[in-house]
Amino acid sequence: MDIRMSTKVQVSRMVKYELKKVFLRTGNRVALLVLLLVTGITCFFAANISYVNENGESTSGPAAIASLKKAQKEWSGLLDEETLRQVIAENRRIRTSPEAMSDNVRESNIAYSWGQGIGEIRSLLNCSFCAFREYDYYRADSLTEAEASSFYANRISSLKDWLSEEAKDQFSEKEKEYLISQYESLETPFFCDYMAGWRQLFEYAPTVVMITMLVLGYLVAGIFSSEFSWKSDAVFFTSFYGRDRAVFAKVKTGFLLVTAVYFAAFLLYTGIVLTYLGTDGYNCAIQNSWGSWKSFYNITNWQEFLLIALSGYIGCLFISSLSMLVSAKTKSAVIAVMVPVVLIFIPSFIGNINSPLVNKILGLLPDQLLQMSSALNYFNLYTLGGKVLGAVPILLVLYSLLTGILLPVLYREYGRKEVG
Amino acid sequence: MELTVKNLTKEFKDLTAVRGISLTMTTGVYGLLGVNGAGKTTLMRMLCTLLRPTHGSITWDEQDIFSMDRDYRRLLGYLPQDFGYYPDFTVYDYLMYVASIKGLRPVTAKHRTKALLEQVGMAENARKKMKKLSGGMKRRVGIAQAMLGNPKILILDEPTAGLDPSERIRFRNLISTLSEERLVLLSTHIVSDIAYIANEILLMKNGSIEAQGTSQELLSHMPEQVWTLTVPRDQVNTYMHHYKISNIKTVPGGTELRILSGTRPSKDAILENATLEDLFLAYFGESPYGHTNVDESAGEQDG
Ligand SMILES: Nc1ncnc2c1ncn2[C@@H]1O[C@H](COP(=O)(O)OP(=O)(O)OP(=O)(O)O)[C@@H](O)[C@H]1O
Ligand SMILES: [Mg+2]
Repeated sequence: MDIRMSTKVQVSRMVKYELKKVFLRTGNRVALLVLLLVTGITCFFAANISYVNENGESTSGPAAIASLKKAQKEWSGLLDEETLRQVIAENRRIRTSPEAMSDNVRESNIAYSWGQGIGEIRSLLNCSFCAFREYDYYRADSLTEAEASSFYANRISSLKDWLSEEAKDQFSEKEKEYLISQYESLETPFFCDYMAGWRQLFEYAPTVVMITMLVLGYLVAGIFSSEFSWKSDAVFFTSFYGRDRAVFAKVKTGFLLVTAVYFAAFLLYTGIVLTYLGTDGYNCAIQNSWGSWKSFYNITNWQEFLLIALSGYIGCLFISSLSMLVSAKTKSAVIAVMVPVVLIFIPSFIGNINSPLVNKILGLLPDQLLQMSSALNYFNLYTLGGKVLGAVPILLVLYSLLTGILLPVLYREYGRKEVG
Repeated sequence: MELTVKNLTKEFKDLTAVRGISLTMTTGVYGLLGVNGAGKTTLMRMLCTLLRPTHGSITWDEQDIFSMDRDYRRLLGYLPQDFGYYPDFTVYDYLMYVASIKGLRPVTAKHRTKALLEQVGMAENARKKMKKLSGGMKRRVGIAQAMLGNPKILILDEPTAGLDPSERIRFRNLISTLSEERLVLLSTHIVSDIAYIANEILLMKNGSIEAQGTSQELLSHMPEQVWTLTVPRDQVNTYMHHYKISNIKTVPGGTELRILSGTRPSKDAILENATLEDLFLAYFGESPYGHTNVDESAGEQDG
């Protein structure tokens, strides 16, 4: 007991000095400042939503958000057939008003301002009544109240149409069944509410997570390679703990840095955006927003938030571990810093090749963890041992396991380094 | 308390830096003397477990030092030739950090750090950042760092490089006091350092130990004798072609040469007592005055 306590104390002393090495570096301080700055700017963009007032003028700021919230709250509640009929009627009323028909920009802006309360639902109508891969902005305008009853059924039937025609060869029968059953098990009617806070949060989350990852890559790469560039390696590796606990302290420092910096940036971003825009709609299904209408993951906004936070963390941990391993192997921070850059940017280049196999591989690359809000909308399916799974659960498990493997490998690799 | 090296060889891709060295060291100061590239640093790195030998073994009291792992490192203090540090750490923080990776308890660490800073004359600079220190000051911190764990084996790769003369003297005295109950191995190019400090001298050349012993022993076994001879200026070049010359001095009536030779170079030559400088020249055959010297080529141009 006594000895174990002192081990812990010793390691935490070494960790303290390792952190000191990291934070005393000017480059690292600048990197953290950049992260803070970019997070701030992203918050600004995420929180910047506008509201067109009854005079047709576009406004922004807290008052605009309050107005938008008020307008949408009037339509919040169960999105059942009756509500949908009313939305269709209201939309028609606005669209056929003299203001909407007018060529005058201001007049049509005034008409637009009336529609902001039903704006989100109107987008869902477009999704529902268009073919699976289409989106016609004016589709809602030609609907009649009688069609409201097929609103939810359309979601399933257009998926089925798509699966039997355009995407016929893209999925196995089992996968098609899986998709359809996921669609069918989505609870309807939706509960609908103002949820701009979540929508904006999700849209810009990948930016924050990726910038955090790039900065983290820079921070952690130095933990291992800088002993070589400073030439302090000889003293380090000849010290009593130089090939075991001091190495462990380095790994732990990397882990702590990733954890602290990631959650600091992420929670700062979340805190600002949600405080400003509100947490209303936390319990709504993500399919309530037109961007996620087609998602086959049946979760709520609150759950998506947790998923983004967790997957971003796992992604950052994995990529940082890989970056640390490369820095330990090559003794070069420059090569190590390239790891996150390559992992983040290369997939988006390859993404232009449209082949199902390439997509299947891309769907499992670690950058997906950093952009969970997009990954939730992709149709990446995998059949493992006869069971069909979406990419998201695989990503979470796969990269947790890989990180669990990488860290001990890193420890061994560094503990055996030669100096000469 | 015995460090034994058997048939130790280190091959790099295209060259053998250490070839088949066998050696036993106990307490005392061992001075490793050799020209640039002789393999001193490579040998020391292997003794510090930083490099794995290609062949051969290193044992401490009959245990392989690589399998001893941290038990061996506990005994070890090392000052590398290119001593690196954390530029933004203060001297005090640096030493406290090294103490932590050496496993010293915080109380001991503080105590040792303070004492060593006094001993190497760095107490006043304890709060200075490492990157702001002069070269000699860094080396002093390096020596302090090596001593932190109160090591049984102290390996110092060119510890006096960059020290000013008074600091060198101080350092020699420090080593002398430290060398009790310790094995100290130090490398240097400065012959006088070795003469003062080392009990045992190891002459290293091309990766091998050419000769080993106290300075007395080595001097008495020197293959050549040392002579002084005063010659007219125009004969200097002729002598330099034929003999190893360890010193040239202009005196009234000509030039006095200090010549290494197995036989009397001239009937006027006077037999002298050899010094370590002469010994160095005898083994490494490199005269500071080289064989193609400026005077000679200048003379050819004139003719
Ligand atoms: N890591 C390495 N890879 C390849 N060759 C090396 C390496 N380290 C040293 N050498 C070579 O091994 C030889 C011995 O080098 P070493 O540094 O041991 O000499 P040294 O006696 O310490 O010289 P100096 O007095 O200049 O410090 C040199 O020729 C050097 O170029
Ligand atoms: Mg050397």
